[in-house]
Order: sequence, then structure tokens, then C-alpha cells
Amino acid sequence: MEQRTPSLRNVAWLGFGIAVAVLVVGFRQAIFLTPADAAQGNVGRIFYYHVPSATMGLVFPYINFLAALAYLYWRRRNPLRALAADALALASAEVTVVFVSIGLITGMLWGRVAWGIWWAWDARLTTYLLLWLLYVSYLLLRRFSSTGESHTLSAVLSIFAAVDVPIVYMSIRWWRTQHPAPVFGGAPGSGMDKSMLPAFFWNLAGWAIWGIFILMFRFALERRRQIAEQEAALQAIEASLEIPQ
Amino acid sequence: MTWQSFFDVSTMEHRHLLFAYATVLVIQGGYCAWIAWNWVHTKGSRR
Repeated sequence: MEQRTPSLRNVAWLGFGIAVAVLVVGFRQAIFLTPADAAQGNVGRIFYYHVPSATMGLVFPYINFLAALAYLYWRRRNPLRALAADALALASAEVTVVFVSIGLITGMLWGRVAWGIWWAWDARLTTYLLLWLLYVSYLLLRRFSSTGESHTLSAVLSIFAAVDVPIVYMSIRWWRTQHPAPVFGGAPGSGMDKSMLPAFFWNLAGWAIWGIFILMFRFALERRRQIAEQEAALQAIEASLEIPQ
Repeated sequence: MTWQSFFDVSTMEHRHLLFAYATVLVIQGGYCAWIAWNWVHTKGSRR
């Protein structure tokens, strides 16, 4: 264990460094090198931060979903492994809330300029807000439930919450409302101008690497907290077993 | 676009672009700082 810690720390610093370097390149591409969108002008540059963040907000719920399933499977068979799965579920739910919050805020900032309104009860926006509410309620349930079964209840909630992810993804395909149509894999002729691709992919890669880094960092923190809690409980048991002189 | 026009807040278009990028960096940086603070203030295993 003592031998693993320095190498894990080095990997963490490496991940952090790579994420920041890629994001710096992405920022430079998005702001300084890519020409302004012909239709939207400079406000179209919000797209390079909005779309990668919104996309990550649809990826991390699946990690939460798989970790919740693993927790439910192991909670009686292997409680220690279940605890690790639970830590991953918590970390991925928090990272989901971070990315979805950013997706909502940057979307509203763009919408106010492009549409003249902050918000529309459009299918994409509404299902995305619902996703945010589901993961916030997941975190609140974990934080404030006092039943002793909060980990199991939250794991079940996360399975239901994951159902919203494909609905969010398909909403702009099933219903045509206010939100722009899908850029990739949409109707014939959809896609992105070649000049926009480097900025888009650098930022997508940057926020994906950042997301993995921040997920692992949060997971490591939760494991550290769990282990500290276990050691404190063990110490309390040992102290209670000591025979008074 | 230049640094000067990026920090130009004279029009709504420029203001919202700056706010969007600043919001992303503040939220992500703040979350990372919160994890780091908790990491430092959580005892590591003594084994």
C-alpha cells in the first residue's frame, strides 16, 4: 500500500497536467483561432464549452448506474467491494451534477442572446433539467436520509435516474422544438463546418480527460473517508474491549 | 478574436461569452479545490 501511494499520486498529477494542457489548447482554438460563426457571431463560441460539458453530463450518469448495480449486487456478497462501488457511485453523481449544471447555465447564457429568452420549456431543456433534479435529489437523499438504508435507496434511485439519459439524448430527434437540431447524426446535411472541428474536438477531449481526473480524485477522497471511518470504528471497539486496571 | 475583445463587456453577446467561459472555469476549479481541501483535511490510512 505504501509503495502504491506515490505512483498513484504521480498518475493523478499526470492526469491533471494532461487535462489542463489539452484544455489550454482547446481554449486557444475556441477563442482565438476559429473564425466567428457566420450566423451567430462570437456568442457561437459558447458552443465549444457547452456541448462537451453537456455531453459529459450524459456519460457520467452511466458510471453512476453501473456502480449502483455493482453496489446492489455486492452489498450482501462482498460488503467491502460494495463500499468501493458506492464510493464510485457517489463520485460519478457529483461529477454529473457539475457537468449538467454547466450545460444548463451555458445553454441559458447562449439562449438569452440567440433566442432572446433565458429558458423555454422545450423537450431537450426540460428533460435535461429533470436529469439535474434527479441527481441533485440522489445527493440529497444520501446526505440527509437517516434510515440506515440510504446507500441502497440511492442506488435504486440512480437506476431510475439513468432512464432519463437516453430520453435527453433522443429528445431533439423525437421532438422538434426550440433547441437546435443534432449536429452529429442528425438529419441529412447536418454536421459542422471544418473550421470548427479542431476547437470542438480539443475541448471535447479536454473536458473528457478532466472529467475522468476529477471523478478519480473524488473517488479517492471518498475511499479515504471510508477507510478513516472504518479505522475510527475499529479503534472505538478496541478501546471498549480494554479491561480496566 | 483577441484577449481585449474577449474581455469586452460592452455588448450582451460579448458579456455572455465571457460569463459562460468564466462560469465553467469557476465551477470546475471550485469543485476541484473543494475536493483538494477535503483531501488535505481527511486523515489517510495509518496502515
